[in-house]
Amino acid sequence: MSLVGMLLVAFVATSKVAAGARAQDARALRTLPMDVLGRPPTETERTAWSTQSRAELVDLLLAAREGWERWCDEQLYYFLLINNFHPKADRVAAIPGDLAEGKLDVRAAIHRIGLCPSFEQRNPGADTFVTVVMEQLCGLDVKKNARELDIGKRVYDGADGVFLGQPGKTQADLVRIAVASPQFTRHFLAREHARYVHAKAEPKELAAWAARFDADPRVFRDLLREWLLSPAYAARLARGAPQENRLFVRALYVDLTGRAPTEAEAEPLREALDGLADPTPLRGVLARLLLDSDKAKLPKREELGEPGAWVDGLFARLLGRAPSVEERATFVASLAEPGCRPQTVVYAIVSSAEYARY
Amino acid sequence: MGHLHRREFLGLAAAGAGVLALNARGAAPVASSTSAARKTKRVVLVAFAGGVRTRDTFGTPENVPNLKKLADEGVLYTRARTANLGHFGAALSIFTGIAEQRGIRENARGPYPTLFEYARKDLGLAANDVWITTSGGAQQVNYAYGLHAEYGAEYGANTLDGEGIFNKEFKRVLDALGRPRELPKDEEAVLKKLRASLAQGGAAGLNSAESAAQVERYILQELTRGTADLTGANAGDAKALRLARNLVSLFKPKLTAVVLQDADTAHGSYNGYAEVIRRNDAALGELVQAVRADPELANSTALIVVPEFGRDRDLNSRRGLDHGDGSEDLSNVACLCWGPDFKRGEVVKDEVQVVDVTPTVCELLGARAKLAKGKRLPGLFG
Repeated sequence: MSLVGMLLVAFVATSKVAAGARAQDARALRTLPMDVLGRPPTETERTAWSTQSRAELVDLLLAAREGWERWCDEQLYYFLLINNFHPKADRVAAIPGDLAEGKLDVRAAIHRIGLCPSFEQRNPGADTFVTVVMEQLCGLDVKKNARELDIGKRVYDGADGVFLGQPGKTQADLVRIAVASPQFTRHFLAREHARYVHAKAEPKELAAWAARFDADPRVFRDLLREWLLSPAYAARLARGAPQENRLFVRALYVDLTGRAPTEAEAEPLREALDGLADPTPLRGVLARLLLDSDKAKLPKREELGEPGAWVDGLFARLLGRAPSVEERATFVASLAEPGCRPQTVVYAIVSSAEYARY
Repeated sequence: MGHLHRREFLGLAAAGAGVLALNARGAAPVASSTSAARKTKRVVLVAFAGGVRTRDTFGTPENVPNLKKLADEGVLYTRARTANLGHFGAALSIFTGIAEQRGIRENARGPYPTLFEYARKDLGLAANDVWITTSGGAQQVNYAYGLHAEYGAEYGANTLDGEGIFNKEFKRVLDALGRPRELPKDEEAVLKKLRASLAQGGAAGLNSAESAAQVERYILQELTRGTADLTGANAGDAKALRLARNLVSLFKPKLTAVVLQDADTAHGSYNGYAEVIRRNDAALGELVQAVRADPELANSTALIVVPEFGRDRDLNSRRGLDHGDGSEDLSNVACLCWGPDFKRGEVVKDEVQVVDVTPTVCELLGARAKLAKGKRLPGLFG
């Protein structure tokens, strides 16, 4: 079990939470950690968290450093600071810890990313750099803001200029001005809401969140809590959402091996899957490889106990729901056939279109 | 130049009639009568992207001996107009026939159909008939298909990113896990039953079960062919071109596209950029050699090579070349067309557009790029 998992389990064990009526539904128990931590819960975590209320579970997840590691990874992916451009700078590596400990707010974290050498290497030259600053940090359309682009390019080259209403004369000034701008706030909150809630924010709500964020960016954690407990998130749970390749890799590892993959294990797989317009065939290959390797933690057929209960558990754990009567009957009957192994059953589920959503 | 020859006009009219007949019937897709009469049955489209100026290719022939030879045997458009939409948007416009602003690091599909979707839908092609190999990672997968309601994933191209899949790290992980065991027949039957019983399905995907299995096998075989071991200044591009060469030889697809991008190293080094151009020309020469050596491909394959845009006229302070000065070097690129139906040794100096490539390729294959804004390239057919 991961360190985070142990800490969270310990936290739950020592908290005075009444069990029973607060039981978490299987869908939320699987999906919430995937949205916040970037992975489903381990078996131990599932047991510990199943008695938590939704609010308690959200609080637990938002308190975990692992959630901020995932947040930072997602920001780097958004800026395409991946593969050869993945930042090596200590200041970027320190972001998750600093966020978890409250030493840093998310605006300052993005500022750090924008100043790291990898950001410049990824976006070389005045035109590319200023375009990316305007588009990705502020959500501005450069074609409609050609004058601002020209000013930004001059500032990039060391000339004085007023960029987005603020004076500057260096490349670093461009990032500082952009990150402090109201355009950044709106764009950042809109994309973060879309990422966590998988839905577009209403303009009125967005304006209200932006006002709070501009007053104090540390409010972001409160906003996340509100979003994850909102009716919009409840609708997202019911609707489901496609699993990005990076999430698929981490989920597959946790579901089949009981642990999250190391970066050295996950990144090459994520990169390979990202290289395919249709990753389904390769996802299937990876699932089979893991299942047939000695890393997969699966019982032998004779160790399954009551097959129906095992099938129920698999559906809850891997799909976040109970099997239908027909599904249960087919899966239980199949387990009695000579050609069927527990791996066959698990492979059928993890290679399904439903598993590719969460 | 600039006006239609009688033969071209008749060809266009016949193509239009074929498409109209198809739409009116709503029947199974068929190629237009014009394309059926042509020798071209396959097209390889190379987005010589990353920002490449004409003065560093055809203006410096020693950099591109293979492209020069192909130009001598085909048609060279010396003034293909581009729009500086960033690498992503500009390269996407080659495949959609629409110049549309996209974010430079935007990692999302465009709203318009691509030439792959037009070809697959109009001609009823399977996923393995249409491929795109890339070198730029996650973002370039978005070239495979757009979000238009009448097209989309089920008509998309199979995409392989050479650098993403065929690298040592991925191979190492696979080696550590071992190769998947063959499923015995009885286990395969159980698996089929279990999959069928799962109640909740997903949207139609790009590959059928059969083509997905072929892709699976191809990837596993390709991992043993040495593509992962390619290195050098153009390693990503070299892998994309190597994959295209292997795909063209093995699957003989109707449409194969390649997207290069290593030339963008020019921001920091002009010499590195020139080296990428030279290496990519050599790799392209190998691809053409594979086409020429295969009797089935030799007289039925057309090749189109075009950058998404050029680069600045002058060097920057790092002795490199950016792309943002609005110069002719940036806005005009050379477009090369080589194939059995094209004129030979023709140089067209009239202005055309990069977005003309999609309608041209579609017409060659008998499909219709009905939402594209470009026109068929003039003066192309012999």
